[in-house]
Amino acid sequence: MDYYIAIASIIGIHTLLGLSVYLVAISGQMSFGQQGFFAIGAYLAGMSTALWGIGLLPALALGAVVAGLMGFVVGFPALRVRGLYLAIATYGFGEIVRLAFLNVRYTRTIGDRVVGPNGAEGFRHVRYVFDRGFTGAQYLAIILAALVVVIVLYYLLERSKLGAKVRAVEEDETAAATVGINVTQVKVLAFAAAGAVAGLGGGLFVHYSTYIDHDMVALPLAIAAVTYPLLGGLGSFVGPILGAVVLVGLTEGLRALHELREFVYGALIILTMIFRPRGIVDEALVLRVKTWFQPRAARPSGPGAVGVPAEPMVRP
Amino acid sequence: MFFDAAEQFINGVMYGSLYALIGGGFTILFGVMRRFNMAYGATIMAAAYVSLVPLYLFRAPFWLMVLTGLAAAILIGLLVEFCCFRFIKKGHELAPLVATIGMLIAITEAIVHATDAAGLKYPSPFGDESLELGRFLVRPDYLAVLVAGVLCFTLIFLLLYKTRLGRAMRAVAERPEAAQILGVSVQRVNVLTFVLTSALAGVIGFFAAVSVGSARPDIAAFVTGKGLVVMVLGGLGSLPGAIVGGLVLGVLEFQATWFLGASYRDILAFLILFVILVFRPRGLLGARTT
Repeated sequence: MDYYIAIASIIGIHTLLGLSVYLVAISGQMSFGQQGFFAIGAYLAGMSTALWGIGLLPALALGAVVAGLMGFVVGFPALRVRGLYLAIATYGFGEIVRLAFLNVRYTRTIGDRVVGPNGAEGFRHVRYVFDRGFTGAQYLAIILAALVVVIVLYYLLERSKLGAKVRAVEEDETAAATVGINVTQVKVLAFAAAGAVAGLGGGLFVHYSTYIDHDMVALPLAIAAVTYPLLGGLGSFVGPILGAVVLVGLTEGLRALHELREFVYGALIILTMIFRPRGIVDEALVLRVKTWFQPRAARPSGPGAVGVPAEPMVRP
Repeated sequence: MFFDAAEQFINGVMYGSLYALIGGGFTILFGVMRRFNMAYGATIMAAAYVSLVPLYLFRAPFWLMVLTGLAAAILIGLLVEFCCFRFIKKGHELAPLVATIGMLIAITEAIVHATDAAGLKYPSPFGDESLELGRFLVRPDYLAVLVAGVLCFTLIFLLLYKTRLGRAMRAVAERPEAAQILGVSVQRVNVLTFVLTSALAGVIGFFAAVSVGSARPDIAAFVTGKGLVVMVLGGLGSLPGAIVGGLVLGVLEFQATWFLGASYRDILAFLILFVILVFRPRGLLGARTT
């Protein structure tokens, strides 16, 4: 049972990271740097509980808010570059954060333990959750509660006018600007909110693992974070959730295959991209599902009509 | 003081030519196909491992090691092209990126399983004695990297500007549809681009492993990081830009090591990257077009 709780906790945390990349992606930007916000959230929330004696919830909030502010700050220079350039610029930001934490020493000896970020040795003994006697299941509940809050916010965003603006900016910046959408505002807001979501994930992670170091927020984490939404699909927030569940689940579920595991994992990613290049939950699928829930009379009909995919529709 | 700076400058230029080669590999592929190959770092890393095989079997000379790595890299490159690029529909730039991430995972796993994850010792065939060049002391493997860099880039430029294939590659890079209409097989050019960049990966793998002193799985992440920086520093898709970007990065890193200490060196590299991207997004030598 503990094993499944552990997997579910990791899935929850990685889903937040995937949702963070997704939010930036649907504003037409590609970020390889969300692990930097994850690291900021993790280190700050960890220092809050382990060094400053703040409670868990304010600590998580502080990590998320500061990561969000950093997202706001990074969002402005990010406006000047796009596409692959932006991906690499944000990767540069992520590496700057990582290397900064490689050099930060801010420790205090509590009891017989050295607590706090300690350069290359990492940040040990973030023991708040264990000292308070939380069980794995209880902490999983906290992770899931945070995740549900974030998902509800995403759901509301995607049904709101702001959500439509974000999608418009993704589709065509110039056209969005001509109909009066403030492109700068939308993009920077997306970066700030995405930073906060990744920071929340980082805070939850450091209290789950009690430990974090600079190696854990390097290129592999950036790659994982980007893979979740791109594999799961950019059509809806369901995409990154599905991506994280499938990929983290596969990592564990394929353990029985031992040596072949990573090959199957890699092969599945490649095959998904060949058959569904926009991810599993792509825009066409989202449109199709949406029409199922519309009253029959309101349904647009005929191939090519708005909201109707060109190929014949399969009724549920 | 001035002498130290000059010596570090020379080291930076020599080591920077390794960065230039890495950036060149990423740049050629991006320039021709407008796609990004995340498995390139893994190809380089795998080539470094395979090039050890003839050394372990019999004490092979270094050129045989380079050739073995080169052949292995070409095979892997063809595999990457077949799996991650050929069958993906047009108009999806991000799909090959994700697919090559899948390939990166698979290649890394293959290497980790075939060896142990800790890495294998990679003896330098150029000896450990520093060479004296005038008043300066120079590491022989750095000097070899410089020679290899000059040689490789000369060959690449000859290929690009003096052969039919090179002309076809430049045509596809410029405008693939127009090239296709004029009878250039885009498919064939893509495959040959993969062969070319993978052969380069074989050379890079050898010198990267020599300079680190061992063949290690994390070489993949190292060269991917440096490759991205160099590519952007010089200007995406610009080969002269990649050379300049590589040399600049090498010189800056060596000066920073001497100035600030090794732990701040990498921060400086990425800060410069970030600043250049924001204030001069087309890179040092990039074209003005968006």
